[in-house]
Formats: sequence, structure tokens, C-alpha cells
Amino acid sequence: MSDDLKQPFLDELKSVTSLSDAAALKVKYLGKKGLVTAQIKSLSTLSPDERKQAGQQINELKQFIEAECDKKESVFKNDELKIRLLSESIDITLPGKFAAFGSEHPLSKTLGEVIDIFTRMGFSVEEGPEVELDQYNFEALNIPKDHPARDMQDTFYVSDDIVLRTHTSPVQVRVMENRKPPLRFIAPGKVYRCDADVTHSPMFHQVEGLMVDKDIKFSHLKGVLITFLRQLFGPDIPVRFRPSFFPFTEPSAEIDMGCILCKSAGCRVCKGSGWLEILGAGMVNPKVLENVGYDPEEYTGFAFGMGIERIAMLKYSIDDIRLLFENDIRFLRQFS
Amino acid sequence: MRASFDWLKDFVKIDAAPEAAAEKLTMTGLEVEAIERIDGDAVFEVNVTPNRADCLSMIGIARELSASYNVPLVFPDLNVVSESKELDFNVEITDPELCRRYAGRIVRNLRVGPSPDWMKKRLEKCGIRSINNVVDVTNYVLLEFGHPLHAFDLKTLKGSMIRIGTPKSVKGSAGLKFKTLDGTERDIPGDSLMIWDAERPIAVAGVMGGLDTEVTGATTDIFIESAYFEPTSIRRTSKKLGLKTDASYRFERGTDIKALETALDRSAILMKELAGGTVYGKIDIYPKTFHPIEINVRYERVNKVLGIKLEPRQILASLNGLGLEIEEQGSAAFKVQVPPYRSDITMEADIIEEVARLYGYDNIPAELPETCLGGDQKKEDIYSQDLKRDVRQSFLKAGFTEAVNLSFIGADELDLLSIPADDARRKLVRIKNPLREEEAFMRTTIVPALIRNMLHNVSHGNRDLKLFEASRVFFSTGPDTLPEEKERIAALYFREKAKTLYREDAQDFYVVKGILEAVLAGTGITDVSYVRSSEPFLHPGRAADIIINGQKAGYIGALSPAVTEKLDLKASKPSIIVLDIDIASIMSASKRKATYRQLPKYPFVERDTALVLDAAIEAAEIIGHLKSYPSDLIEDVSIFDVYQGTGIEPGKKSVAFNVRYRSPEKTLTDAEVEALHAKLVEHIVGKTKGQVRG
Ligand SMILES: [Zn+2]
Repeated sequence: MSDDLKQPFLDELKSVTSLSDAAALKVKYLGKKGLVTAQIKSLSTLSPDERKQAGQQINELKQFIEAECDKKESVFKNDELKIRLLSESIDITLPGKFAAFGSEHPLSKTLGEVIDIFTRMGFSVEEGPEVELDQYNFEALNIPKDHPARDMQDTFYVSDDIVLRTHTSPVQVRVMENRKPPLRFIAPGKVYRCDADVTHSPMFHQVEGLMVDKDIKFSHLKGVLITFLRQLFGPDIPVRFRPSFFPFTEPSAEIDMGCILCKSAGCRVCKGSGWLEILGAGMVNPKVLENVGYDPEEYTGFAFGMGIERIAMLKYSIDDIRLLFENDIRFLRQFS
Repeated sequence: MRASFDWLKDFVKIDAAPEAAAEKLTMTGLEVEAIERIDGDAVFEVNVTPNRADCLSMIGIARELSASYNVPLVFPDLNVVSESKELDFNVEITDPELCRRYAGRIVRNLRVGPSPDWMKKRLEKCGIRSINNVVDVTNYVLLEFGHPLHAFDLKTLKGSMIRIGTPKSVKGSAGLKFKTLDGTERDIPGDSLMIWDAERPIAVAGVMGGLDTEVTGATTDIFIESAYFEPTSIRRTSKKLGLKTDASYRFERGTDIKALETALDRSAILMKELAGGTVYGKIDIYPKTFHPIEINVRYERVNKVLGIKLEPRQILASLNGLGLEIEEQGSAAFKVQVPPYRSDITMEADIIEEVARLYGYDNIPAELPETCLGGDQKKEDIYSQDLKRDVRQSFLKAGFTEAVNLSFIGADELDLLSIPADDARRKLVRIKNPLREEEAFMRTTIVPALIRNMLHNVSHGNRDLKLFEASRVFFSTGPDTLPEEKERIAALYFREKAKTLYREDAQDFYVVKGILEAVLAGTGITDVSYVRSSEPFLHPGRAADIIINGQKAGYIGALSPAVTEKLDLKASKPSIIVLDIDIASIMSASKRKATYRQLPKYPFVERDTALVLDAAIEAAEIIGHLKSYPSDLIEDVSIFDVYQGTGIEPGKKSVAFNVRYRSPEKTLTDAEVEALHAKLVEHIVGKTKGQVRG
């Protein structure tokens, strides 16, 4: 009896083309007035034996129809979801809503790298005023008034006794006045000299450093600065020390590193020499130590200084210092 | 200083190639910056540091080569055969502390004319133009010995005498007018040293001769001056007159008081050789003889300071050739007598440097110091340095690019912002010698620089701008005291209402304020509020002062259209927000110490209510009233909608707020929350005189 329904169901199932067709077919067979439901109801007219057998058959048929209809329905459901999602599609090639990080200024970036190297070596960071007393900027550093050494630094004056600091060395004096050795610190900051062209800016950044203790030698100065340069420019960078003059150090040295642009072969930037001047340094002049009340027989120390603009310009191949202060974002974004 | 290699080899017989000699000089402290090839000679461009006046001469540089190569120094012929000793000529020093020695020679019946080629070429290679044989000889000897000489036309000198003194000491005058040989009439200060004849001044000592006594083509008799002038005096005069000459450059660095005699003799020999005539005996007024200083040097100290282990004989050998007189003092030390041309050597450390540079810096080992771990930095300093770095990082992460501007400002930039005369930002520190008037002051605010950066960027088509700068600003505290330096961080946000792919859903003011709030929250600041700002350059309706711990720490707001109009800003309907905040205020209010609090155990219940109230009532006031309601169960309040327009009476607005209730002890029931919220609404309605929106 149930076989009479199975074939027509299968035939009808073939012509189902939508979710609603499938639902209708399900109702037609399994609904309250459905064909299968009617047969289930008619079971009561049969004898108990017949009923058991027929009941089993109808039940199987019911489960079969149910499963087939569900299968069909889920196929159509998936198709419909696909169609809906497709209609919600967006152009994924349009750019995202721009939310890039800002770019750190190349000078800050360079300054940060330099500070990090020295703090890893145990140097602390000290600061001092940018508008400074002549006394700290010059006199205490063994640069008296009317001395030709003042020509080494073209100075901006606020008054006869107040200048825009020409280097961060006055920080060294201020710290030494207030503390006793051992000392190991760097003093980063802005400095000023009245000079302006492609390689000079009236304001620029320096990092100077000082180490004072009982047994500090020139060989230590070499060790610390070679370590610094190798960390900043790479382990193979050639370094040379040659004598120079700074009123506040004795002996004084100028430190050159192999030109990173031409790999020491000689180019325009290194004026064909293959060397680039990168640091000034020396053993602290005993007169400077005496000026701050240290006994130069007991303590010795070394000091060094470098220009951050020069390092940044070398690292990033920037050929005009003015670019660093123009703040053109097309320039600044190159360092993000 | 330009030095001819051929000329140097007159005094030091070395076979080295010029490049090798230049390298040697560089590595012992006389940096050769360039080598120029001229007529088969090599001309060195030598960078002579201010301490080495002795190397502003061929002999001085040759002496360095002699010490490096260990080859003796050869001096030129210095034997003058004076043909007559009769001299009716007097020299009188009135300021002996400014002129410690004055010598001269008279040459008569010479013929002024062109110099021979060999001399012209040597002078020109070293950057000096040939004038005539007499002047050329003085310049030649200047280059050779580093000692400036001056030749006067003897017949123009009145009264057969030379006096050396300042206008003050000679005439009791506070200054005078004098025409130097470049034809310029100059005001000479009363304390500048001058050379005079019996009647009048004839030269600015050590700087430049006078026009009236200059050697000309018609000159037949000359007086050659060779003197020692006090360096600081020459420097002061040269600075005051704004006149720097080859002579003043050397005198202010210190000349060789002994060798001035040698230079004088050398010039007399060359004068006779080139111009003929009769050389007369030397006049030499030398009131106080030079006494060389003596320095005691300990071998052990040399090794200790340099970090080397040299034997005494090695140390002594390295000093050979410098012309130092060395006397051994037992096994521990030696004594050095410093020749007058090395006035830079005054102490043991100077001798240690001489040893180091001749031993070779590159031969000194490199080693890292043995030292205790860790710095000695104060905890507060580390904290503040970290905090500053973090604040900068927050701006970077929020999309702001970092600017670095010069610290200078022009007064007109404050005018542009309508900063009133009594504002602290008018307490400007003036620079006496600025490069440009626009850079005559130290800045008291960063914002004008950011505005400048905006103009630059917009004019170059960079239209999406978010810039910030962290820097110091400077406030004058009086003419004789150091200014107050404060660190600030300022930002500028520029957006042009041009075509954009995505709409901004918030007003720009709120976009930037949101970033500021995030930055401040990142530093752990909780007590911050915003009150309407009266900064004159901000939009009065769209600007707020930032109040931290009850103090104004800065401001945020839209740049006033009154300012924007004055700018040459090529943008349509730009939206410009600026903010400026004091770093010390952030620092002092920042709390970054976190302590764990237990997470809530019971659920929260939320209620939303909309009020219609007077449009002038601001969010902060409403929040304030809600928060001040005395109940422990209110966990948080926030405003989530503000509406004006259709359905709301003009002058009124609808404000919807959300309250989150929670008890730490139990789950709140609907009835409890309902009752509490009703009371809260009643409270806020009473405070704001508003109505619940139905
Ligand atoms: Zn190169």
C-alpha cells in the first residue's frame, strides 16, 4: 500500500524547483491532511497483524519522505543564502579607511637609537637648559672670553652673560657640580650656532657623554666609542682616532669611521678620503675637573660628543639639512 | 692654512709622497683636508686648530713632519750683514703690557718693483696675491715663520720715531678716526693698540697698517716692524673693527716672541736680495724677557691616562723633534721646558697628548672599562623620560607625524594669533644676533611653527595633515637671569572638506579630543576636565581649556577663522584643530601604578532616559549632576545621543543618557532598579529644569 505512494512522491520530488515547492510537497504527504497521514489514520481499520506490518512500512515511508524533503530544502536554503550573500558583496579592492601610524621624525629616531645604545651600556640620561650662562657654556669648560677657541662655535647671545648653548657640554658641568664620581651619563639635546647652509642649521641636536671614575683611561674612551659606532653602523665599520683640539679635553681626538656611502672607496660626501668625521672626544681636561671641585689626581674621565643631524643624514642619505626642519610630510613619511 | 709641499721640503728633507706626508700630518693632529696639484707641486689645505698657532707657518708644519719622520729641521739662512749702524730713530712703548717686544730694521735706497716668479708662485699657491717685492717679502716671511711683519714707508714717518700705545695712553683720547690701507676710515676704540710716529697714528697694531704710510711704487726707504702683541688685545680690536687679517689671525692666537727677531732678519735678507738697498742695524725694545715654563711629567701618569705601557725611553723618544727641552729627573719623571712657539703646552696633560699623538692614537689599545652595573640615574628622571617617550608614541600611533622645528619665532607670529601684550607668551627671550628678524626670539609656543608647517604642506599639495611636536618653550624672567624652560607637546590636525571615500562620522574637534583623551588616559591621568577656552586664536564656540588637577594644562580647539583668513592657505573649507599641552602638568598628574581590583560578581542593569532641556546645558554638567546623585549602586553614566531639530522646540535639545546599576552584594531586581532610576530622573529633571522626553 505504501509503495503506491513512494513512486508518485519520487516523481513529484523530481519536479521540485524551489524551497516553497519542497515545503508544499512535504505538506502534501506529511501534513495533517497529507497522503501519508491519511494512511496512518486508516491503519485503525486493519486487523492487529496487518496493522503491525503496514504500520512499519508507513513509518519507513514517512521517514524516507521527511529526509528527502529536508535534503531538498537544505539544498535550496544554501542556494538562497548564497544569493543573498552575493547581493551583499562589496568592492574589496577599495582602500581601507586610512588609519596609518604617524612617522617618527628621523632626528628623533636617530636620537632614540643613540640613547638606547648608551643606556644599554649603563649610561644614564641627563638634561640641562638650552639658554645657558656663558659661565657654563664656555668659562667652566676652559674657554675664556677673548679666546680664539670661541671662533670654533659661532654663538647666539641673549646678553653678555647668557647664550644659547653651543653644545650640551654645560650639562656635564652642571651634573659634576652636583654629584661625586663615579659618573656615567649622556646629555642629549638641542644646541645652537649662528650658521646656516646646506650642512649647517642654526639649531641642531647633539649627544654628549661623560664618564668619570678613579681609573678611566684613553683606552676606555676608544673601547666605548668603537663599541657605540659598531652598534650603530654595523660590526665591520672601520674606525680611526686622530688628534684634535677641544679646550675642555686633553688629549683630544676626532673619530672617523669608514665612509658608509662609498664603502671607504672615496666619494663626494667623504671628499674622496674614504673617512667620515663622526665624533669628537677626549680625556676631560684637568682644569675642567678642578673647576667643579674634583681632584684630577684622583679622578680621570673621558667625554665625547656627536651631532645627530650628521648621523641621520648619513644613515638616510639626506643631502640638505634644511629638509629636516621643513616638516614636509612627503619627506617625514619616508621614515615610518 | 694652505701649505706648499715643495716649500715644506726646504725645511725637512723627506722623500715621502705628498699623500703619505698628508696622511702623517692628519694622523698626528694637523688634518689635511684636501690636496691640490699646482705646477707639479702639491698644496695642502691644512685645518689648523686654534691651539696650534705655530702651525700657521711652513716651519711649524715642517717641524711636525720632522718629528713624525724623525728627520732634522733645516732653517733658512739668517745671517744679516748690517752695512751701517748709524741710526737716528727711536722706539717707545707706552703700553708694555699690550706690546711685550718691538723690533725693527731700516732699509734705505731700495727699488720697489715686481717680485721674482718663484716668490710670486709660492705666495699665490698659498693664497696670497703678489703686490710688490717689499710687501711680498713681508708676506713671504709671514707664511714661512708664521710671524706677521709690517713695512712702513720711512719717509712718511714724522720725527724719526715709533710709539706703541692706545689712543687712551698716548693722547688720553676715548677713540679716534683712522684710515687703514684698504682705504676705509675706521673708528678706533680708545683701548685698541696703535702704532704712532711723532705726531699721529700710523697703524692699527697687529691688524692693519695706515694708508698714509703705505709702501708705494715711489718708496725708497722702509721701516720693517716685527713685534709681539698681546693676543687678547689684538682679538678685541679685530672683533670691534670687524677686521680680520692674516696678521691679526696669527697675533690673536699667539706668536713666537723669540722668533720675531729671526723673522725680521729673514725679511732683511730677502729685502736686500730682491730690492737692493742698505740694511741698517736692528732696533729691539724688549722690556721683559720671556721665561719658558717648565713642566714636570711623570712616566707612570702618562701610561695611566693613556692606558699604555711605554718605557721611559720610548716616552722620551716620542717627544723628539718637537723642540722641547727635556731634562730627565730620575726614574719617575722628566722636566720639559716649553719653547715660546708652543704656548698651548702649559701642563702635564698637554705633554701626555704630545706623547699620545706621536706614539699614534691608533696604537693605543681599545678596552671597555670595568665598572659597576647600572647607571646612577634618579628614579623620577627615568619615569619622566619614559613618560615623555610614551606620550610621543601615543601621538604616533594615533596617526600624527612628528615635526621638528627650529626654536625661534618672530614677534609677528604672536600678532597673527592675537596674543595680548600681557600674556605670558609675550615674555620673549630676544637673541642679540639673530640670523633673520623672523628668528629673533626663542619661542614661547609651538603652534605658530605647526601653522607654518601646515602652510608649507598645503601649498605642496599635502592635504591630509596630522602633525605634532614635543619641544621646549622659553619664557623670559628678566634681562640677567636664565629664562624658564617648559616642555610642551602641540599638535595640528588639518582636514579639507574635499572628496573622501569614507565619511568622517564625528566632528573634527571630537576626533582630536578623542585622541587627546586616549593619550592622557595612557598616562594614567583621571582628573581632567574641559572648560570653554578664551584663547584669542581659537574658535570661541569650539575650543576648550584642558584642566588637569584644577589647573589649566593646555587647550584644544578649532583655529579661529579670523586667523585662517589671514593665512595664505589655499584650501577650501579647511577644518584645523590645534592642541597644546604642558608636559610637566601631565607628569605631575600621571599615575601609572596599577592595582588589581576584583571583577564584579553580580550582573548589571541598564536604563536609558532622554531629557529635553535648555540647549545651553553642556554634557559635562549633566554628567556631573548624575554622578553627584548619592547612590553606591550607580556604576557608570554616559551620554549616548544629543539631538536638536524637528520635534524639539528651538533653544532646546534632547539628551539621552545611559545609567549602569550594579550592586557588589547581590543581583538587583527590576523593581529596585526601577525605583532608583525614577528617583535619579527626578533629581536630574530638578537640576536641569528639563523634561523627560516621551
Ligand atoms: Zn665616501
